[in-house]
Amino acid sequence: MTDMKLPSPMAELRPALGEIVGSGSQRAAHFSVLLSSRQGLTIVVDNREERVTERAPAAGTVFSAFDGVTSQERAIGGFNAGDVKAAARDFIDALALPKTALPNEPERSGDFASPVQIDPLEMTTQEKLDRCRALQQRAKGRDARIVNVQVRYTELNEHAVYADLNADLAQRVQRVNMSLYIVVAGPTSDVRYDSSSKSGSAGWEVLTWSDEDIQRTIDGALALLSAERIEPGEYRIISAPGVSGTICHESFGHGVETDMFLKERARAAHFIDKTVGSPLVNIFDDPSRQGGFGSYFFDDEGQLSAPTQIVEQGTFRRGITDRYSATALKIPRSANGRRQDYSRKVYARMSNTFFGSGTSTLEEMIAQVDHGIYLDKWSSGMEDPQGWGIQVTCHYGHEIKGGRITERMFAPIGVAGYVPDVLQSISAVSNEIRMDGGNCGKGHKESVPVASGGPHLLLTARLG
Amino acid sequence: MMLDRIVEALEKRTDLAGWTVRHIRTREAQVYAVPQGIESERTVDGERYLVDVLRDTVTSDGSPAVGSGDATLLPGGDIGHAIEQAALVAGLVANPVYDLPDPAPIPEVVLSDETLPRNPAGVMHDVMERIQRAAARQPEARLTAAECFGEIQNIHLINSRGIDAEQDSTQVSIEYVLHGHKGDRESETFDPRKARRVADLNLEEAVENRARYTLDLLEAEAPRAWQGPVVLRGEALAVFLAGDELRGSVIQTLASASAKYAKFSSWEVGDPILRGELKGDPLTVWANRVLPFGVASDRFDAEGLPAKRVEVIRDNALASFAASQRYAAYLQVPATGAFGNIELPPGKTPASELLAEPHVEIIQFSWFNPNPITGEFATEIRFGYLVENGHRKPIKGGQLIGNYLDALADVRWSAETGFFGAYLGPHTARFNDLKIAATTE
Repeated sequence: MTDMKLPSPMAELRPALGEIVGSGSQRAAHFSVLLSSRQGLTIVVDNREERVTERAPAAGTVFSAFDGVTSQERAIGGFNAGDVKAAARDFIDALALPKTALPNEPERSGDFASPVQIDPLEMTTQEKLDRCRALQQRAKGRDARIVNVQVRYTELNEHAVYADLNADLAQRVQRVNMSLYIVVAGPTSDVRYDSSSKSGSAGWEVLTWSDEDIQRTIDGALALLSAERIEPGEYRIISAPGVSGTICHESFGHGVETDMFLKERARAAHFIDKTVGSPLVNIFDDPSRQGGFGSYFFDDEGQLSAPTQIVEQGTFRRGITDRYSATALKIPRSANGRRQDYSRKVYARMSNTFFGSGTSTLEEMIAQVDHGIYLDKWSSGMEDPQGWGIQVTCHYGHEIKGGRITERMFAPIGVAGYVPDVLQSISAVSNEIRMDGGNCGKGHKESVPVASGGPHLLLTARLG
Repeated sequence: MMLDRIVEALEKRTDLAGWTVRHIRTREAQVYAVPQGIESERTVDGERYLVDVLRDTVTSDGSPAVGSGDATLLPGGDIGHAIEQAALVAGLVANPVYDLPDPAPIPEVVLSDETLPRNPAGVMHDVMERIQRAAARQPEARLTAAECFGEIQNIHLINSRGIDAEQDSTQVSIEYVLHGHKGDRESETFDPRKARRVADLNLEEAVENRARYTLDLLEAEAPRAWQGPVVLRGEALAVFLAGDELRGSVIQTLASASAKYAKFSSWEVGDPILRGELKGDPLTVWANRVLPFGVASDRFDAEGLPAKRVEVIRDNALASFAASQRYAAYLQVPATGAFGNIELPPGKTPASELLAEPHVEIIQFSWFNPNPITGEFATEIRFGYLVENGHRKPIKGGQLIGNYLDALADVRWSAETGFFGAYLGPHTARFNDLKIAATTE
C-alpha cells in the first residue's frame, strides 16, 4: 500500500466525490472534482539570522464542467465536507452547458507517491534546520571576502485527489530544493554573489553537497568580482546543461503549449512535421521522469503522466496539451494540464523539459572551439512563442580560447536570437543530461514547479 | 467567530513573546476568452488565517534572542495544533531581538473599486466586453486571447501589542493579446495590466495603442547597434522603475533594510547611490504606500505598520532604508514598513524635448530583469522604435545593455507625470547613453 500521507480532510472527503461526480455528470458532458493541497516549508540560514516559515498553503476543491467548448469552474478553499457539498450543489444546479459528446476516456485509478528515501514529512523541523546550518557552516569563512553565506531550503508537499466518471486518482508529490548563495565583497565594496542548487521530486537524499560543490560556488562568486562585460556579437558557444535547458524551455517548451495554438500565439502551430533545428536536436517533456523537480503522476485533469517527444531529430512533432486545447485541436492529450493551485485555471504547462542527449563528450566539444564562450549558468529566460525570439540571461560565462576554457569571465551575458536559427546552429550534443529545478510562470503569473535541462550543446548565437 | 477563538488561544499562551494574526478573505471572478468565445469562467472563494508568533530564545552563548514561527489555518482548522506548531518552530530559532509594532494611527487609503464588490462576475464580463469592443474597432488587429480577473479582499489584522486594523481592497488584473498579419508576416502584442479599480486600466486607450503597435510590429526590423539616447515612457518606464510581478526593481532591492542586513546591499544612508559621473537630473524617490489606488498601496502591511510615504533617495543619495519592524530593529533605523509603490518627483523638461531626434524608444521589453544586486542588464527588446531623420522606424530584437545605476546617473525626467499601477512620476525619461547590441551584423 502506497503511503500517501493524504491530509485527513482530503481523505475524509474523497469517498463523497463519486456522488458529486455522478450528479454533475448528468448536467455536463464532462464533470470532475479536484481536491488540491499545496503546502510547504522554507528555511533560510545565513551568517546573521535564521528563518523558518511555512510556505503559504493553497488548499481547496475545484468543480469543473466542460462541454467541449467552454468550461465552468467553481473553486472553494478547504475541504470542509459541508461547504464542499453545498458548493457542489449550487454549482451543478446552475450549470447550463450543452451536453455534447466528448471522446471517451479510459478508466484510470490508483494512488501514487513520490519515492523518497529520507522523507521530509518524517523529519522534524529541528533536523532540517540543523542540516541547513551544517551546510552553511561548511561554506562560511572559507575566504575573507565572503560577507554572507545563505542556505535556502524549500519543500513542497503536494497532494491531489481527482475524480470523474472514469477516474479515481490520488497522488502525493514531494519536491525539495536547496540553494547555496555565496555573497562576496570586493575592495571597493562591490557586492557579487553566486549560487547553486539541488532539487528533485524526492527526499533529502538528493540534497547532498560535496566540498567541490561548495568551493565551485565560492569560486564563481569571487571570480565575478573581476568579471567583464562581453563585447556584443555572434559567438560560438557551449551551453552548460542548465543553459541548454533554459533555451529549450523558452523555445520549444512555452512555444508548444497548445493553448497558445488556439490563441494564435504560437508560431510552432505552423511548423508541425517541419524542420525547426539541426538533426541533433531532440526535445522532450516528461512528467513521469523519476526524480524530476517537475514530475507528477497525473496532471490536474486526471491524465496519467507519460513522456512527449516534441522535437525529433530536428523536426517538430507535437505540442503539450491540456484537456481544452487537445479537444479543440482534436489531438491526443498529454499530461500537461496544470494549475498553479486550486484558485487558478488549468493551462497547458511544461513539466520536465529537456534536450535529448547526443554522443559527444564535453572535452571534444570544447576542443572544437577556437574562440568562443562557455555559458556556465543561467539566471533567467522569457518566452516569445509568436515571435520566436530568445531571451536567456546568463549569470556568467567563461572565454574559450584555443580549445580550452580560460579564467576570463563575463557577466551577465544575454543570449538573443531567432529560435530556428539557434537550434539549426547546434553542431554537437554531449552524452549526459542534467536537470535544474525551479518555478515557471506563464507570462508573469501562474507559477508551477518545473525542471529543464539537457546535455551540453555546441551552437552559435548572439551574445550581449 | 474563528478569529476570536484564535486570538483567545494566542492570548492564553504564556510562552509567546508576541503574535500577529491576519484573517484574509477573498472573492474572485475570472473570465478567459479565446478567439472562438469564452473559454472559461471561474469563481473562487478563499479564506485563511495567518498566524505569526514570537518566542524568547537564547543564542548558543546564552544571549537573549527571539525566534519566529508561523502557521496558516483554513476555516474549521485545528487552532491549538497550528499555534503549537508555530510556537515549536519559533523555539528552534535564535535571532537578534526585535519586537512587534505598537498601535499607531492607520491612514485611510482608498484601495477599492466601487462597483466590483457588488457584482464581481458581472463587472469582469463587462471588462471583457469592453476589451472585445475596443479590439473590434481596430480593423487590422484581432483579439486572440484575453483574461480578466477581479478580486475583492478583506484583511483583519490583530497583534499582541494591541493593533486591531482592517482593510478592504480590490484588484483588477487583465491581459490581452492582439494579433496582426500582413502577407506571411505575423505580429502580436501582449498587454498585462493591473489596477485597484477598473477605471485605471484605461481600457479603450490601451487597446487602441496596442493595436497600433501590433501593426507597426509587422514592419519591425532588427535594430542596428546603437549607443546613445534611449527613451522610456508610460508602462515601460514603470517596469524599469518599479519592477514587475516577478521581481522588484534594483532600487527596491538595494534600498531595503533586509538586503542591507544580509549584506546584499552596500548602500549607506547619506552616501550617493549612483555610479560614475552624474550628468543627468538628480534622483529622488519615495516609497509610497498611501498612493490612492496604488497597486502596492495598503493601510497597513503584513506586520501592521501603517502606510507611509517615505523618502528613500534624495538628490542621488540614500535618505533612508525601507525597513520592516524586524530589520529596522536590526539596523537601528526607523521602521517604515513594506516599500509599496515607487514615486518620483516631476522633472524639469517638457516631454516633447525629451523626444528630440535621434533616439530609440523601447515600448516593451521581453523581460527587464537586471541583476538586483549589481544592476547589470542585458535584456531583449520586444518592441520599440528608432526615431531619426523624421522617421519612426519599428524595431524588434537586439538587447539593451547597461547598468541600472549608471543609467540613472545620466537621465532626464519629464515635467509631465503619470500614474501606472505601482509607479507615480514622470511619464517620460530620456537615458542619454545606453547601448543596444544588434541581433545581426
